[in-house]
Amino acid sequence: MSESKKVLIIDDDRDFVNAIESLLQDSGYQVRSAFNGREGLHLAKTLRPDLILLDVMMTERTEGFFMLQEARRIPELRQTPVIVISSIYADQPIFRVSPEAGWLPANLFLPKPLDPARLLAEVRRLTDATCSPVTQAAGGRRES
Amino acid sequence: MKILKIPKPNLDLFMTVLPAFGEVYAPVKRGEGFVFAQPSRWSDVQMKYPRTILPPKKFLLPPREVTFVFNPQEGYRDLVAEAAKPIVLFGVHPYDIFGLNILDRVFAQGKYVDPYYMARRQSTTIIGVDFEPDDKHFAYSMNADFVESGFDLFFSDIGDAYLVLVGTSRGDDIVLMSGCLLQEPTEEDFAEYKRRSGLRRSAYKTRLELGELPEILEMEYHSKIWDEMGERCLSCGSCSAVCPTCYCFDVNDDLELVGRAGSRVRSWDSCLFKTHALVAGGENFRSSRASRIKFRYYHKQRGFVAEYGRPSCVGCGRCVTICPAKIDIVTVIETIRGERDESSSSVAAVV
Repeated sequence: MSESKKVLIIDDDRDFVNAIESLLQDSGYQVRSAFNGREGLHLAKTLRPDLILLDVMMTERTEGFFMLQEARRIPELRQTPVIVISSIYADQPIFRVSPEAGWLPANLFLPKPLDPARLLAEVRRLTDATCSPVTQAAGGRRES
Repeated sequence: MKILKIPKPNLDLFMTVLPAFGEVYAPVKRGEGFVFAQPSRWSDVQMKYPRTILPPKKFLLPPREVTFVFNPQEGYRDLVAEAAKPIVLFGVHPYDIFGLNILDRVFAQGKYVDPYYMARRQSTTIIGVDFEPDDKHFAYSMNADFVESGFDLFFSDIGDAYLVLVGTSRGDDIVLMSGCLLQEPTEEDFAEYKRRSGLRRSAYKTRLELGELPEILEMEYHSKIWDEMGERCLSCGSCSAVCPTCYCFDVNDDLELVGRAGSRVRSWDSCLFKTHALVAGGENFRSSRASRIKFRYYHKQRGFVAEYGRPSCVGCGRCVTICPAKIDIVTVIETIRGERDESSSSVAAVV
């Protein structure tokens, strides 16, 4: 039942967070937010969300990448689905390393600007997947 | 050897692709010191640090490791496969890479290859970085201020960028994955590398003459210096723990109360410990502190030279920094060589 699913948004852009919060709450999700990686990690450990939406460029421009690595070292977050949402490829043209290359332990990478309908569909798909055996949503697996 | 460069502003992005090669450990600050640990963010990573408290040997020869378990249900289960977890050591100084190369001679290239060490070594990616020596470093004197092997990539500071030496095919894989973050160097970059190289060599304040040291140690075997050092040394073993090339270990079986299940545990030992040379029957071949500290110096500076052609010291200065009795290897060797006025001391006053 998607209505009871908990989604954690970690992004330093408060306007973006407000917009996504509204979108997800209107669709029946419980939503909590954090505005940097450390705060987000702390909240994730206590909240145990069904899905994390994670920005990359926050206090530091690679903060989301580092936070995700740290989250995967925490047993209770090792298999939590994560969607990385970032404009890093547009903002850092030197960084041409594909998220599909095997280094990013996220389930999905979505570029900003974001298509709300696509996001909602992916949130629904990944939170529904958390009802399945956890091995099917293992950390490090990329789905697109 | 392929040579590239990476502009310093690209380093944080470069670090984010390293997890594809294993768990990443880098020098981070802990209290007043530095340790190899997993950084939580890029700003945790210290590109300039004097030395870490423990050398990277802790990853290849852990302070305590279970090598196998046994119980009635599954019999014997070797844990060598679990030792082979891929890791990336980022920011390793050249003398520490040299230290690992020395451990390789003992554990990976000798008559008896250690499977646990080998599993870790083969699963470890090493990215080195150069450093500015402080007054405790004497790596230049130990020929360990630079390395030509033992790393996958090696970074040398050239100002706005690091020159990157690609040492292995795994290093090349990292370069390929990093795409445009690394670039072709210019003639000016090479010139700057050579200029800074010379500056680094001349920056060593502490230098040590190693010529004929094994012979001089032979001559000084009965010197009163060792007794005086025995008076001073606390036998705490700190120097062994922090040494990049000390590799003595003890092996014990931890048994459950019923005695039918347990595990075999290997843990660091030290030749400074009173029990190091204690054998069955209660005989102890090195029962005095003087004999133990003398053994340490003779093993590293004479025995290792005879066996492997060079001392096992790399000049990192950790033992000097950590010793609670303020014993300084440089001063000790200078005293043995007669380069210090022994009449002004007991060595205890000198060291």
